[in-house]
Amino acid sequence: MNLTVNGKPSTIDGSERLNVTGLLAALKVAQAAYVTVELNGEVLEREAFDATIVKDGDAVEFLYFMGGGSAAFPQSRR
Amino acid sequence: MKMSREYRLDTLLIHGGFEPGPAGATTVPIVQSSSFAHDTAEDLEDIFRGRKAGHVYTRINNPTTESLERRLALLEGGISAIATSSGMAAITLAVLTIVRSGDEILSSASLFGGTFSLFRDTLSNYGITTRFVDPSDLRAMRDAVNERTRLIFVETMGNPRLDVPDLAALAAIAREAGVPLVVDATVTTPVLGRVKELGADIIVHSTSKYINGTGSAIGGAIIDCGTFDWRRESYPHFEPFVKKFRQFAFSARARKLIHKDLGACPAPMNSYLLSEGIETMALRMERHCDNALRLAEYLAAHPKVAWVNYPGLAPSPWHETAKKQFGGRYGALLTFGLADKAAAFRCIDGLRLAKNLANIGDTKTLVIHPASTICADFGPDEKALMGVSEEMIRVSVGIEAIDDIIEDFAEALGAI
Repeated sequence: MNLTVNGKPSTIDGSERLNVTGLLAALKVAQAAYVTVELNGEVLEREAFDATIVKDGDAVEFLYFMGGGSAAFPQSRR
Repeated sequence: MKMSREYRLDTLLIHGGFEPGPAGATTVPIVQSSSFAHDTAEDLEDIFRGRKAGHVYTRINNPTTESLERRLALLEGGISAIATSSGMAAITLAVLTIVRSGDEILSSASLFGGTFSLFRDTLSNYGITTRFVDPSDLRAMRDAVNERTRLIFVETMGNPRLDVPDLAALAAIAREAGVPLVVDATVTTPVLGRVKELGADIIVHSTSKYINGTGSAIGGAIIDCGTFDWRRESYPHFEPFVKKFRQFAFSARARKLIHKDLGACPAPMNSYLLSEGIETMALRMERHCDNALRLAEYLAAHPKVAWVNYPGLAPSPWHETAKKQFGGRYGALLTFGLADKAAAFRCIDGLRLAKNLANIGDTKTLVIHPASTICADFGPDEKALMGVSEEMIRVSVGIEAIDDIIEDFAEALGAI
């Protein structure tokens, strides 16, 4: 499935139906408990994450309110 | 692996929010760095825009502090937490996130002196008015709500009055008024009860007290329960945050604006000390409460003691409410009265184990004469509202052997 995630092309392997909760896990989104998800320009309520299915061609935006949020103790690529 | 949210409170105190650090460390690493480098300009742009997780600057966020914040949110059943440099910073930031110039706070009159001063003296200079009402008088509380009220503020146990407001009833008043209930739960901690379940929308703590436990660090925290709907005409300043962050609107406005701009962040070392302290809080609170009840009973029977105020004693007018709200535990603060101020001073001077200082929630037993110290700047009427009198001593009962605590008071009282 091809998506646009935060403005960039992204491919999710597998043919199973994927809800937003599954998408957060598949993309290993850091601090998922604190992220706001915008799907095709609409901000989703957290209660809707399980019931909302992501489709091929969708545009997804993840937004953190913590001034960046965090991956705990991240390692630099360098 | 079980999600941490499924664990019981005693386990969450130790494991909640912890994520393994470098080299398999089992304590939270102290990330003593002002700022954080990123690989590309785009990475840092994404972090600043909130599109990507990452750290920027310790005033904004810090890995050590975030670990503490995750744990505090789990303990209170909140959706997020913000750690601050002190309890007063937590109250200031929580309140300023909600109110603007021209707005009003409806507050309990039975408050910690610092909070009373913040509301009465400091915020009033910026056009924010506070109405102080006895929180046990529910009709008076309801009657004090007006069209400018933007929040109701109360302590779980008023310090030092030690009254115990009916939080569920106050939450009902707040719901009816369409304003959030902000609760300072410092004195009871989540160990005695999660006040979210009684209707708190925002919880504040001085983490310097029982959460730290040993008097080694100053800190505060704000917990967003995610229960208040900010989509109301009376909160237009929340509109952009509701639009963008929905349930996190309060957290976002607090974090991205007020906390960021006022800069009351904790030092990473203090976040570490608080994370260490919190692990033993359940055990400590059990001993604190047991010791406080024993000391209260001893003092109540002492011929030189005029009166004892402790919610755990049946004569306290707040005993039943405290019992209902906090599972038969009544905290570790008590006050008692002697003949007069001179007798109170002689008693404090005669104590050898208990320390005479301005703090509560330490492992050590602490005493203070509030009227001449922490409440000295208040007039007679205000002192009366706060439950402070000249002959009164406040005790923060520690976790030493109770027989040693009682002997210390017995000797001091005997020498009066």
